[in-house]
Amino acid sequence: MEKNSTKNLILTLSIIGIVSALLLTFVYQWTTPYIQANQAETLRQAISEVLPGSEEVEEVEIEGEVFYEGFDVQGNRVGVAYQNSGGGYNGSIELMVGVDLDSEEIIRISIVNHQETPGLGARITDEEYKSNFSGKPFGDYTVVKTPPSETMEVQAIAGATISSSKTTRIVEEAVSIINNAYGGGS
Amino acid sequence: MAVKAKQLISDLKNGLWQENPIIRLVIGMCPTLAVTNTTENGLAMGLATSFVLIASEIVISLIKKLIPANVRIPSYILIIATFVTFVDYFLKAFFPGIAESLSIFVPLIVVNCLILGRQEAFASKNPTRRAIADGVGMGLGFTWVLVVLGAIREFFGMGSIFGFTLLGEWYRPMVIMVLPAGAFITLGILVGIMNYISREGK
Repeated sequence: MEKNSTKNLILTLSIIGIVSALLLTFVYQWTTPYIQANQAETLRQAISEVLPGSEEVEEVEIEGEVFYEGFDVQGNRVGVAYQNSGGGYNGSIELMVGVDLDSEEIIRISIVNHQETPGLGARITDEEYKSNFSGKPFGDYTVVKTPPSETMEVQAIAGATISSSKTTRIVEEAVSIINNAYGGGS
Repeated sequence: MAVKAKQLISDLKNGLWQENPIIRLVIGMCPTLAVTNTTENGLAMGLATSFVLIASEIVISLIKKLIPANVRIPSYILIIATFVTFVDYFLKAFFPGIAESLSIFVPLIVVNCLILGRQEAFASKNPTRRAIADGVGMGLGFTWVLVVLGAIREFFGMGSIFGFTLLGEWYRPMVIMVLPAGAFITLGILVGIMNYISREGK
């Protein structure tokens, strides 16, 4: 049989493809449990960060959206967390927002995943920026470049106005989704 | 098929300096410029690429006689893609932090022309032992330049190396160094210095 015959070409590529698929099937089965465990761990950490004091977390589905309700040792509801994502400066930003439904305030936010510029937009993960949202009432926020003088103002990170305002929009959206689902609807 | 040890050592050294993929051959520029904003990213990228390079050079030099010339490029790409997918899963499972910071650049190792280039130029023409030496040399050559680039950019751009802060609060980071423009500037200066050194040697 000639080496460059069509039959031979197809055969070679098929064999390589099958062997490669078989190998990857094993690799996939081997690594998937670890990957899922990592993702679950990231989620758990984010929830415990935004709902401090919660001992037990319950997943609640309302109108197709998944919310995480945190309860303390006595069984009282600490708050509700919701994961939201949206476009940032470089890529998608995923974040977790924890709110206190009784006082209608944000407890904390946590950045789960982002691709912002290191040293600039990536500072949305710094406490300095995240603390902007702690204790904020529900509603719309304004991004400002000077230290905030009013409650609804969020201070942008120097040199990363876009990352700051995009993150703020994602938080705003998350808050309104929680608010709608739990019947606040102001 | 007696390959002398001397030959293997010279194959190995080749990638480290004379034909260093980044500063001499100037190939594989996409990851070089994109992920070297920190030392750790540079090192992880270098090692991931080295693994794919060495593994695929071994496989391809072993089966080079079985692959018809007309489909050699798609065959190489299939083999390379298999190893890259392996690395991708492996990083996500055991080094999630690194996988996250390299993000899209791990799957993009498939199209790194350094890897395909070495298969075509070396592994498909030489015995396996020489291919291993070439893979290790090229991989290490790629890695050390990535680490140096990452270290320089992280030092000036964030005042730290491997995440350890070296410069105190007084240092105002040169943000441009961690942005893409900083990669071009650093690489240009580095290539210039390397050229100067090798010219002095002559």
